[in-house]
Amino acid sequence: MTDSLKRIAVLVSAGKHPVSGQPRHCRNDSLALQMGLNLANDILVLHAGESENPALQDYLALGAPQINVIPTTDNIVNNLATQLTNTDLILSGTRAENGDDSGLLPYLLATKLNLALVADVVEIKAYENKIEILQFLPKGRRRRVTVCLPALVVVHPSAAVTLNFIHARQNLGSISTLSASNFDAKHSQSDLKQWHTCPARKPIKLAASRTLTGHERLMAAISSKAKGGAVVNEGNNVEKAQVILDYLREHQLIDF
Amino acid sequence: MTTRINPHRQAQVSADDLKREPATIKRIVLSKAQIAVEAHPAKWLRTLSKPKARLLVIAHSDRGAVDDHALQAIAAAAILADAETAVVALILGELNDNLINESLKQAGADEVLVLPSLDFQVFQPDIELSAILSMIESLKPSRIFMPDNLIGDGSLGRRLIANKQLTAATHVIEIDANHVASAQTGGSLLAISELPEVILLSPNTVESELPFTGKATRIEAPKIIIENSQNTVTYQDLGMQGSKAENIALEDADFIVSAGNGVQNLDTLANLANALSASIGASRVVTDGGRLPRSKQVGATGKTVTASTYMAIGISGAVQHLQGIKDCRHVIAINKDASAPIIKRADLSIIGDAEEVMQALIAEITKAKVGAP
Ligand SMILES: Cc1cc2nc3c(=O)[nH]c(=O)nc-3n(C[C@H](O)[C@H](O)[C@H](O)COP(=O)(O)OP(=O)(O)OC[C@H]3O[C@@H](n4cnc5c(N)ncnc54)[C@H](O)[C@@H]3O)c2cc1C
Ligand SMILES: Nc1ncnc2c1ncn2[C@@H]1O[C@H](COP(=O)(O)O)[C@@H](O)[C@H]1O
Repeated sequence: MTDSLKRIAVLVSAGKHPVSGQPRHCRNDSLALQMGLNLANDILVLHAGESENPALQDYLALGAPQINVIPTTDNIVNNLATQLTNTDLILSGTRAENGDDSGLLPYLLATKLNLALVADVVEIKAYENKIEILQFLPKGRRRRVTVCLPALVVVHPSAAVTLNFIHARQNLGSISTLSASNFDAKHSQSDLKQWHTCPARKPIKLAASRTLTGHERLMAAISSKAKGGAVVNEGNNVEKAQVILDYLREHQLIDF
Repeated sequence: MTTRINPHRQAQVSADDLKREPATIKRIVLSKAQIAVEAHPAKWLRTLSKPKARLLVIAHSDRGAVDDHALQAIAAAAILADAETAVVALILGELNDNLINESLKQAGADEVLVLPSLDFQVFQPDIELSAILSMIESLKPSRIFMPDNLIGDGSLGRRLIANKQLTAATHVIEIDANHVASAQTGGSLLAISELPEVILLSPNTVESELPFTGKATRIEAPKIIIENSQNTVTYQDLGMQGSKAENIALEDADFIVSAGNGVQNLDTLANLANALSASIGASRVVTDGGRLPRSKQVGATGKTVTASTYMAIGISGAVQHLQGIKDCRHVIAINKDASAPIIKRADLSIIGDAEEVMQALIAEITKAKVGAP
């Protein structure tokens, strides 16, 4: 079934423990890696960054046979794109944890390579020239979609794959370095030049400024903030049940 | 009113309790079976002196409604807009007029455009992208706000950013007139920048309760020509499937029927949940007593749920419980005590015996389903 796929690539970023700062694999990307390994043995695992990063050892332990590293932290999209021109299927995680973590990279890459893109994927089945995916949606909903190849699939954190961390595989796998291309300085365009960082703190919620007039202050004092909806304390149980059903119907919360 | 509730006390209702009715509660007359509309305290209408610029908010509706996250994106634009800037809400998917236009007003939208064919349930990313591109072309907004959600807006926003190479900030957790901020490096850093062209907002970054309203004037969406062909070649939507309620994590459930100490018979509650395809939740008294597993507990020391519908049955509504349901849109209470704190939180409260009302409701649902096509 899966022999039909010519080339599968998985994009892995370098993770970092949010508290200790220790390098580690990025779980999202490991899920993508495992999904790729479930489809084919021979996959291209790509990382743009430093080949010495200990985080990459984790991906070897998680089953990557070989990791190809593009030694750059600039022009990541262009650099990755150059390596991916002949690929049927690219898998990525949803969000990195060691850069701007914007979840934009897959979109920039798919746009650059003119690929179909599906996000929030939890299952993949491969067919001859297409894949069938199951897509995560909130509130327990899922959607099935077939996508013509070539395509980029962004894997959702709740993808149903099991990660197997086997230390011994670190010695079996290898890390090789590709050459970085020199692109003109025109940087990844969606980056704002003026980003700066500070240690995390509790974010401040945006609220409208309230310069209350005397009248408004009076209104605020006399109108209670507690909302309280409709209260039904009359009628028999059937009528009460009917009120609940009417409410559910009116707000389209049930479909019968 | 802060009453300390002893979880072990016997539920008792005195005749006095029934007479005492909080002043904020309106009665409804059953024969009309109509829900009383809450009166809003006086708010001023944000008036525009000839708009010179526009802020565009794009969001999908879900079953005809616009959720809180999308309303927060509209409120953010409304707060940041000056007197010469109009806030335009572009809603993808159907809009259920009567109910929703009011919430768009409250969120500060000046104008509302609806593209009903772009329902979030249908996977048509290329069509959606070309539709919003042509809307952007004709509206020429100075900035675009979208909720960074998983019903399609987060993804559509990123397609837009990549396609037009716009400056952007995603997963935005803090915003004001001068900056946006997102968490970076797994949450250990806060990255700050000036306001970019496209802003994808995380939930609860904005206080959507505003001191003013917008007009929310419905305007005719300009005719857009959508290149349909490419989408249907590339993607084929095989349809939505709901997971079985019992397989959905409580945090992800859309409809929860929740049991409190006032529920005598959990089998009845399970039958009701089944009839409504709902997940089961519980108050701490119920899980402490071992009547339902700990994983079902909703509240400060249990799960925070975001269901569209939360039915609190025989639950008093202690603050620790209410903390867990603050993001639920429709709360329906069944309680024999009209002065229980849950009544203040609920959008609809039925005063009566839990077992009897549940039985009647199950019977009515069964009838309705037989009658349905
Ligand atoms: C640190 C701390 C953390 C906590 N965390 C949580 C938490 O995460 N989640 C949580 O739920 N609680 C929590 N609690 C407990 C909380 O304070 C309440 O004790 C608890 O929520 C009460 O549960 P209840 O409403 O089911 O029971 P009760 O308070 O006993 O209320 C039962 C309700 O059922 C009604 N009733 C009784 N009989 C009937 C009937 N026949 N028909 C209809 N209605 C009837 C009564 O009028 C009453 O309103 C916490 C408490 C503390 C101190
Ligand atoms: N330096 C990188 N090398 C390879 N893949 C990456 C790199 N950075 C990000 N990715 C991939 O793109 C996804 C989204 O990353 P981001 O847009 O940075 O949040 C990640 O989950 C990875 O799969």
